Amino acid sequence: MTLMNFIYGFLAVLGAFVFQTSLTGINRKVTARLQKRRGPKWYQQFIDIFKAFSKSSITHGWVYDFGAIMALGGIAATVIFIPVAGMQAFPGLDNIFVISYVLAVGMLGMAMSAAGSGNPWASIGVSRALTNMLAYDIPFMVVVFTLIYQHNTGSVSELASIQQGVGILGWNFFKLPLGGIVSVIALFGMLGKKPFDSFIAPAEIASGPMVEYGGKQLGMMFTLHELMTFIEVSLILNLFFGGGETLLIYMVKYAILYTFTNIVSGVMPRFKIDQAVTFFYKVPLGLAFIQGLLVIYLGWGY
Amino acid sequence: MHEVQKNDRSLWEVVGDYFRANSIWMKWYCTGCGAIEMPPTMTSRFDMEQLGMGPMATPRQADVLLITGYLSTKTLRRVIYSYEQMQDPKYVVGFGSCTLNGGIYYDSYATINQLDKYLPVDLYIAGCMPRPEAIMNSFGELIEMIKKGEAKGWKHYKENHEWYKANQMDSLGEVIIHDEFHE
Amino acid sequence: MTMIFIFLGLSLLLSYVLSRKQPTLGAYFTIIASLAGLISVYLLRNSVGVTESFYYLNFQITTIGWYFAMILLTVYFTSAFFNPFWMDELIYPAAYNSLYLLSLVGTIGLFFAQDLMTLFICWETAVWSSMLIVQQGKSRQAAWVYFVISAIGSMSTLFAVLLTMYLSGTSEITGALTYFTTAPVAGALVFGAFILAGLTKIGIFPFHVWLPLAHGSAPHTFSPVLSGGLVKMGAYIAYLSVAVFPAYQVFGDSLKIQGVPLPIYGLMILGAASIVYGTLRAIQQEDAKRLLAYSSVANGGYILIGILMMDQMAFAGGLMHLLNHAVASAAAFLAIAAVAKRTGTTKMSELGGIIHRMPITYTVYLIAIISMAGIPPMGGFVSKWLIFQGLSEKGLILLATAAAFGSIGSYMYVFRPLSAVFLGQLAPKYEHIKEANPVMVTAMLILTAMSLLLGVLPNLVLKTIAKIQIELGINPIIVNGTATLTENGSVDMLQVFTVFGFGFLLILILFMVLPKSRRVGLMDTYTSAEFIHTPELLHYGHSFYAPFERLYEKWPSVLPLYKRMSMKLSELGEWAESFFFHPDPNRAVLWIVVVAIVVIIGGAQ
Repeated sequence: MTLMNFIYGFLAVLGAFVFQTSLTGINRKVTARLQKRRGPKWYQQFIDIFKAFSKSSITHGWVYDFGAIMALGGIAATVIFIPVAGMQAFPGLDNIFVISYVLAVGMLGMAMSAAGSGNPWASIGVSRALTNMLAYDIPFMVVVFTLIYQHNTGSVSELASIQQGVGILGWNFFKLPLGGIVSVIALFGMLGKKPFDSFIAPAEIASGPMVEYGGKQLGMMFTLHELMTFIEVSLILNLFFGGGETLLIYMVKYAILYTFTNIVSGVMPRFKIDQAVTFFYKVPLGLAFIQGLLVIYLGWGY
Repeated sequence: MHEVQKNDRSLWEVVGDYFRANSIWMKWYCTGCGAIEMPPTMTSRFDMEQLGMGPMATPRQADVLLITGYLSTKTLRRVIYSYEQMQDPKYVVGFGSCTLNGGIYYDSYATINQLDKYLPVDLYIAGCMPRPEAIMNSFGELIEMIKKGEAKGWKHYKENHEWYKANQMDSLGEVIIHDEFHE
Repeated sequence: MTMIFIFLGLSLLLSYVLSRKQPTLGAYFTIIASLAGLISVYLLRNSVGVTESFYYLNFQITTIGWYFAMILLTVYFTSAFFNPFWMDELIYPAAYNSLYLLSLVGTIGLFFAQDLMTLFICWETAVWSSMLIVQQGKSRQAAWVYFVISAIGSMSTLFAVLLTMYLSGTSEITGALTYFTTAPVAGALVFGAFILAGLTKIGIFPFHVWLPLAHGSAPHTFSPVLSGGLVKMGAYIAYLSVAVFPAYQVFGDSLKIQGVPLPIYGLMILGAASIVYGTLRAIQQEDAKRLLAYSSVANGGYILIGILMMDQMAFAGGLMHLLNHAVASAAAFLAIAAVAKRTGTTKMSELGGIIHRMPITYTVYLIAIISMAGIPPMGGFVSKWLIFQGLSEKGLILLATAAAFGSIGSYMYVFRPLSAVFLGQLAPKYEHIKEANPVMVTAMLILTAMSLLLGVLPNLVLKTIAKIQIELGINPIIVNGTATLTENGSVDMLQVFTVFGFGFLLILILFMVLPKSRRVGLMDTYTSAEFIHTPELLHYGHSFYAPFERLYEKWPSVLPLYKRMSMKLSELGEWAESFFFHPDPNRAVLWIVVVAIVVIIGGAQ
C-alpha cells in the first residue's frame, strides 16, 4: 500500500464518475429517442449534478449528513475495489463478497440518512429498497456461489480473466446461460430500473429515500447513484461478459450492457414491491437453482 | 418595499447561474385547469427536456415553483409553505391569467388576485390557457434571465420579508388550529 | 483454575449478602467479580492441558474451552455494568445478583469440564440459575417455556452421558467419546442425544420457541447474557458432538452429499431452516428485544452450520461468528436496554428520534448491527465471509442460499429498530430524556470497540481458532500478517478498512468544501404541503415491511403444534394424577399396596 495506490484509487473514482455520468446523459437521449423526443444534451447529467452542488441546502441533524457522507464514501471505496480491464488500485481486494458487502455500507448509509430526515416517505422508500435488495440478491448470490464452486476462486478479476482469450463463447453468459440470464435480470433490480423501481416512485411516495434531499446532499445522492451504477454494471460485466482485455473493449461492452438495460426498462411498467419479490423468487431463483444443480451435480458448464 | 440592488456577481455565482439556467427542475403546483398544458409540453411534440427542464417530486429538490391557475386562500398557505421549503436560489413562475389578476375568478371572495403580492414572481406566463408554445417561449426567457443573474426574486423575498408576510397575513388572517384535521 | 471457581463461588455468596443490605452495592460487586474472572481466565491462556480436580468435579483447560469461556466472560462482564441500574425494578435483587454469578460459574465450568458428569452438573447449574433469573422478568410463562425446552436438552444430555459412561467405561470426555469410532450404532444414538441438547440450547428451528419468549421478557440486563452468552453453551455441545465425538467417522458409511454425511447434512439443513425462519420472523416483530431474539435464532444457524462443516474455512467462520455475534448481540441488547431505561418501553412504534437525545447509544447500536449484518469493516463480515467461502467451495448450494438469505434479510430486520427507535420523528414525551449514564456507556463502548477491532484485525482471533483446528487435525485457517487466506479467496481487512477510510475522507473533504447547510427542525419536512403538528403522526414505525410481511403472514407456525402437545401432556398428567390423587382414600391405599408389592417382588430378585 503506497501513495500511488491511493492516487490511482482517486483517479478510478473520478474516471468512473465521468464515464458513467456521460453514459447516463447519452442514455437520457436514448430514452428520449424511444419516446420520439430529442432529449437533453449529452452532458446534461453533469449540469444537473453540479447545479445541485451549487445550491444552498438544509440538514436535519448530524445523522442526515453523516449518513450521506458514509453512503458516498462507502460507494467510492467500493469503486476502488472494482477491477477494470485487469487494473486495480489495490490488488487482491476484489473478492466478490467483499465488493457486494462494502456496497451495503453505502446502502446502509443512505438508508440511515434518509430515515434520519424524519420523513415517513423516506422510511417507506427505504423499506421498499431493502425488500427489493432481498429479492434480487438471492438469485444472484446462488449464481455467484455456483461460479465460485466451478472456478474455485472468489476474485472478480480472476473470474473475468478466466473467460478471456477464447472469444465470445468463453463468456460465462454463454457457458452458463441460465445463470447469465438470472444475473442480467438481477442487474435490473440492482440498478432500480423498471420494472423494479417502486422504491423511488416519484408520484406515489415522492421519490422515496430522496424526498428530503436538496442542494449538496441531493448532488451527493446523484453522484452516489452514478457510482453505484458503475459498480453494479461492472460486476455483471466482469462475472458474465468476460470483463475487458483492454480499457476500450471494457468501455464498449459496458456501454452496450448499460444501454441495453436502459432500453428494456424504457418500455416496462412497474412492479409493486411484493410482486417484485414473488417474481424474483419464482423465475430467476428457480433458474439459478437449476443452473447450480446442473453445474454441481452433473458437471455441466466446464 | 425596497428594490434589490444590482450587484456584480462573483465567479462562483456566474458559474452557478450557468448550471442553474441549464437545469431547471420544477415543482408543479397545479391548482387549476393549467395542469393540462404540462403533459404536451413534456412529451414528444415540445419536449421540454431538451432545455434541461423536468418535473421533480418535492420542493426540496426543485428550483422553480410553477403555479398553474387560481389560488384560493386555503391553497395559498400551502404554496407559501412549499416555497419556503425550497432551496435557494429559487424561482417562481406564475402560469395563466389567474395568477396575474385573478382571471375569471377576479371577484371571488375565496381567491387571491395577484400572486406577486404574496410570493416574488420572477416570470408570468399570460393567457387563459397559455399554450405549450407560450410555455416553451417563456421558459426560454427565464433561462436567459437566470443566466444574466436577473431572476432575483428569492433575494427580494428575503429582503422584503416583512412586506410579504404582512400581505400574507392580511389575506389569510390568523389560523387557529384545533387538531390535525381542523383549523 | 479451581481457585477461580472457589473465588466466584465465594463472590456470589458475598454479592448476596451485600445485595441484602444494599442492592446496588451487590450489583456493582458483580462487575468486579466478573472482571476478576475475565482476567484470571485470560491468564490461563498458556496453561492448556492442565487438569485439576475439586472433589468430584474434574476440570481441564483446553484451547476451545478457554476461547468459549473468554466470550462468555466478556458478555457477563459488560452486561454487569447495567445491573446496578435495574435493581429497583427487580423483585428479588439479591437473588438476581447471586444467580447472575452462579450462571457464570456454571457456564465456565461447562467449558472446562473434563468428565461427563462435571459437564452435566455445570450445564444444569447454568440452566437453572438462568431460568430463575428469566422468571423475574415480565412473564412467568416465558420462564416455563425456557425451562421445558431446556429440560428436553438436559434429559437428552443425561441420557447421552449415562449411555456413554456405561458403554465406554470411562467418564473422561475425549476418551469416552472417541470410543464410539468402534461402535457406530450406539454412537449414532449418543450423537443424536447430544446434538439435541445443543440444538435446544442454540435455539435451532424447531426448538427456537423459547428464545423470543425468554429473551423478550427477561430483565433487560439479562437479555444480552442470554443471547450473547448462554446460547453459546449449545454451540459448545454441538462442537463436542461433532469435533470431539468422531461424527464424521461414525457416519462414514452413510450417504454423502458433497462429502458431508447425510445425518450431519440434515442438521445443517435445520441450521439453514433456522436462518431463514429466524430472519422472516425477525422482520415481523414489533418489539425490539423480540426482534433481536429472532436474530439470535438466525445467527445460531450460521454458528451451527459453521461448526458442523469441520473444514478449514467454514469451521473457522463458525467459531469466529460465536464471538462476533456474542459481542454484537450483547451491544445491541444493551443499547435497547439503555433506551428502555430512559423511555420505559421497547416497542418500536412507540419510540422514535432517540438519536437526537442519545447519540452515543445510537452509535453503539449502529456498529453492533453493522457487525450483525456482516457488513465490513466490522467483525461479523469476516466470519460470514469465511462461512460463505467454505460453503461455496464444497458446493453446498442450498445452505449457501439460506446463508445469503439470512445475511441480506438481516439488513432488513436490523435496520428496523435503527429507523423506528433511533431515527425518525422525536415524540414530544421524549423531548427531555438524557443520554445513558457513563457507567452504561462505558460497557457499550467496550463492546463497540471490540466489534471494530475484530473486523479490522480478525487475525487476532483467527490465530486462536487455527490452534483449535490444529488440535482437531483439520487444515488450519491461514493468517498472513493482517490478511486471511483461504483456498478460494483472500481478504485483508486492514486494507479494506483503510480504503474505506480513504473513500470516507474524500467525500468528507467534498462535503466540507461545499456551502454549509442550514439546520432545520425535524417537523420541517416535505408533507405534500400539508400542515402536520403531531410528530407521532409523521413517524413511520409500525408494520415497517408490510408488503413483504403480507407474503408470508399466513404461513403455518410451529407454535400451535407445541400448544397442542403441551395440552395433551397436561391432559396425560391429569389422567395419571386421577389414579393416584383421588378424593377417595381407598384408592391411595390401593396404590400404596400395589407399589409395595412391586418393590418387594422387584427387590427379591
